[in-house]
Amino acid sequence: MSVTMIIFVVIAIILVLMYNSLVSKKNQVENIFAGVDAVLKKRYDLIPNLVASVSKYMEHEKGILEEVTKLRADANKPNISDAQKIALDAKVSSALGSIMIAVENYPELKANENVMHLQHSLNEVEEQISAARRSYNQAVTDYNNAIEMIPTNFMAQAMNYQRKAVFEIDELQRQNVNVKELFN
Amino acid sequence: MKSVSELTDFYYKVLYPTLNKLEKDRKHLRYRIILVGFALTFVFFLGSLALQNAFFLGLDFFAFVLFAYAGIGAFVYKILIKGYTDDFKSVIIHPLIKELDNRLSYTHLFHVAQHLFERSQLFQGRIDRISGNDFVNGEIDGVKIEFSDLHVERRHKDSRGRESWTTLFRGLFIVADFNKTFHGKTVVLPDSAQKTFGDLIGGWLQSKNLGRDELIKLDDVEFENKFVVYGTDQIEARYILSHSLMKRILAFKKKTKHPLYISFVGHAIHIAIEYNKDLFEPTVFSSLLDYKTAMEYVQTLHLAIGIIEELKLNQKLWSKR
Repeated sequence: MSVTMIIFVVIAIILVLMYNSLVSKKNQVENIFAGVDAVLKKRYDLIPNLVASVSKYMEHEKGILEEVTKLRADANKPNISDAQKIALDAKVSSALGSIMIAVENYPELKANENVMHLQHSLNEVEEQISAARRSYNQAVTDYNNAIEMIPTNFMAQAMNYQRKAVFEIDELQRQNVNVKELFN
Repeated sequence: MKSVSELTDFYYKVLYPTLNKLEKDRKHLRYRIILVGFALTFVFFLGSLALQNAFFLGLDFFAFVLFAYAGIGAFVYKILIKGYTDDFKSVIIHPLIKELDNRLSYTHLFHVAQHLFERSQLFQGRIDRISGNDFVNGEIDGVKIEFSDLHVERRHKDSRGRESWTTLFRGLFIVADFNKTFHGKTVVLPDSAQKTFGDLIGGWLQSKNLGRDELIKLDDVEFENKFVVYGTDQIEARYILSHSLMKRILAFKKKTKHPLYISFVGHAIHIAIEYNKDLFEPTVFSSLLDYKTAMEYVQTLHLAIGIIEELKLNQKLWSKR
C-alpha cells in the first residue's frame, strides 16, 4: 500500500471518530434533556394542587398564583423549544419560591397537612430537578467544548452544530427554591 | 453520639481496672510467646541440621523447612493469643461500642455478608476467600447500619500449580440505609488515573474504563480531583451526590486518612475504608495503655458509627419517611 493511501485511511478514520464523538455528545445532551423534561413535568403536575390548596388563604398573593398557573399552561403547550423550556423553568422556580416564602405568613397553611405534603413533594422534586439541571449542564459543557475546540470545531462547523445554552441558576433563586431549609 | 474525647475518657477511666488486668495478661503472654518462639526455632534448627547431616538434602529442603517454620509459627501464635484476644474483645471493644451507642449490638466472630460486599460492586473480580470479624449492627435514628472488619482475597495458581493469594480488599466495610430513593447504581472510587496522568489523559482513561458504567463528571472541583464516579444514570448519580453530600464525603475522607470507596446500590450506601490491616485487635508487643493504641480503637469506632450523622443519613426525604 502506498504512503498516500495510508495517510488517506488514517485521515478518514480520524474524521469518522470526530464525527461520531460529536454526534454522541449531541445525543447525550438530548437524552439528558428528556430526563430534565420528565422531572420538570413532575413539578408542573404539582402546581394545580398547590394553587388550589393555598389560594383560599392567600388573598394578597393572587397575582403570583395566577402567574404560576399561566407559566404551567405555557410549559404544557406543544412544540416549545428546549431554550424556552429552560427559560420557563427559571421563572417557575422563582415564582414557586415566592409562594413558599409567602406560606410562612399563614399559620393555618403551615399546619395544613395537604400543604405540608405538597411542600415535601416539591422539595423532593426540586432536588431531582437540581440533579437533572446539573447533568444537563455537564452534557452541554462537553458538547460546547467539542464544537469550539480544535480539531472538532471544524467538523462541527461543517455539520452546522450550534452552541447550546445551560441552565443558569443565580444564587438568590437557589436560596428561594431551597424549600427544605425553610421548613425543616 | 459521644465525642472522641468523651470516649477516650471512658477508655481510661471506666475501663482502666479491666485494662490493667489485661495489660498484666499481655505481659505474661508476651513472655510466653518469646519463650515458645525460641523453643520452636531451636527445634527446627536442630531438626533440619540433623536431617541435612543424615540425608544431604539440597536448597529445596531448606525452603520447605522455612515454609513449615513460618506456617507452624503463625499457627502457634494464633493459638497462644486466642484467649487474650477474646478477653480483649469482650471487655474492651464491646463496652466501647455500647458506650458509643447502646442501640448497637456486637458479635466478635461475624462479618458483613459476602453478598453485601458483592452487591457494592466496589471491588471487581472473583472472590475466593472472605474473612473478617468484629461485626456491629443496629438501627440508629431509623437508619440500619452494619459494619465489620473484612478481608477479601482471590486465589492464583501459577504454571507449576503453586497457590498464592492476593488481597482484593482489607479494612472496614460499612453498609447503611441511604436517605434517598434511587434505582440504578453509582460507584465512587479514589481517583488514581487523574492523579497520575493529569486531567487530560487521566480523564480520557477514566472514560474508557470498560469494567465500569458511564463516567460521571461532577461539578465540584475538589471532589472531582479526589474521586472518580461511575454510574448507570447521569441524573440519578447527581441526585444522590448533591453538593452538600459531596462536601460531607470530602470532609469524611479527610478524617479517615485512608483510601475511601463508596457505592450506592439497592437502597443502601456501602463504604469501604482500606486500612490494609485487621482492626480492633489487641496489641501484644506494645502497651494497651498507650495513648496511640487507645486512640486508634476509639477513632475507628467513632468514624464508623459517626457516618450516620456525618453524612446526614438520618435526614430522610419525604418518600423515605
